[in-house]
Order: sequence, then C-alpha cells, then structure tokens
Amino acid sequence: MKTRIEFTRAPIVPPTAEFSTRETGACLEFSGLVRELENGKKIRGLFYEAYEPMAQRQLEKMCQELGAKHPCAEILLIHRLDFVPVGEPSLFVRVSSQHRQPGLAFLAELIDRLKADVPIWKYSR
Amino acid sequence: MKITVLTFAQTRTQLGFAEKSFDCEPVETPRQIFRRLAPQFDPGQTIRVAVNQEYADWDQPVGQATELALIPPVSGG
Repeated sequence: MKTRIEFTRAPIVPPTAEFSTRETGACLEFSGLVRELENGKKIRGLFYEAYEPMAQRQLEKMCQELGAKHPCAEILLIHRLDFVPVGEPSLFVRVSSQHRQPGLAFLAELIDRLKADVPIWKYSR
Repeated sequence: MKITVLTFAQTRTQLGFAEKSFDCEPVETPRQIFRRLAPQFDPGQTIRVAVNQEYADWDQPVGQATELALIPPVSGG
C-alpha cells in the first residue's frame, strides 16, 4: 500500500489522482471543512497546532494497521495547520482500493482514529 | 542524562514553556519527572504522555528516551 501523509500551512490543493494499478475500482475522497459556528458562536476560522513528527508517525502506523484489516492500494492524507478560514478544508483524505468496501471502511476508521489519537489541536479564532 | 520535554495546547499555558531540556535518570517515570519539574501540575485522567513520539504509560521508566511530550485531548481533523 502506498501511503503519503503531509502537513501544510497553505490551502490544501489535492494533487491529481494517480493509480498504480488498473485494478483500482474505487477512489474515495473526503474533505473536512471548517464550519462557521463553534458552540453556537460565529468564528472566522480555526487555528491548528500539531506535534508534527509524532502525528506523522501515528498516522503512518494507523494506515499500516488499517491496511492489514481493509486492503487498499493508495492513501493520501493532507492536514492543514495554522489558521484555516471558515469554508476551507483542514483535512483531505483520498483512499483508493480494488473494491469500495475496504476503501469506505478504511476511510471511516482512519478519520475516527485521527480524531481520537493523533496529536493535533484546534482553537477557534 | 538529558531529556527534552515538549508541551502542547493547554499544557503549554499550564507549564509556561513549549520545549525545555532537563536532567533525569533512566529509572524515572514521566509522572516522577513532571512531579519534580512542575509540582503543581496534575495530568489528571485526560492528559496523556508520549515518550519518543509514542504514547506511553505515566508510570513506566523512561529508559534512554530523549523526548517526553504532554498530549492533552486531541482535536484534529
């Protein structure tokens, strides 16, 4: 499984999808956007902070573990850091797999685990 | 030996530094190290500790670790 994990301080621009095999039957893309209301209060955006080397390591480990459970071909994850204005994505994930089921399961579990265990913090601004 | 202590989010405000190097012994646990560095600091049930970028037990000796980090509840994504 090809895994690419990146952090950026600029707006996320997902690269064009390229598939290593023509047996790829599913390509799933998820964008997590910053919403306008935080606890009912209007915000300008969110500020993200990360313990980057550990976040990278944890995400790589999670992808390896999830890949054993839900075989996929390619994973691309981009998390934006610093200030992210309302309406813009803070997270982009692309998962490709031979069939849709492992890709969907991988994507859902990866995001759940990211939110529970990856050392990234956000603050409203 | 020297160990680098990192703090993030609210723990940085609580301890008043982002990164500092401290002397410690391999037999010391993260809990003992923090009790010595910041006696007023209580990790409670929600703040986790990472040793060399892996989640670790508060009561497990740090051994030859070079980095210790406080991980308050995360909120990425």
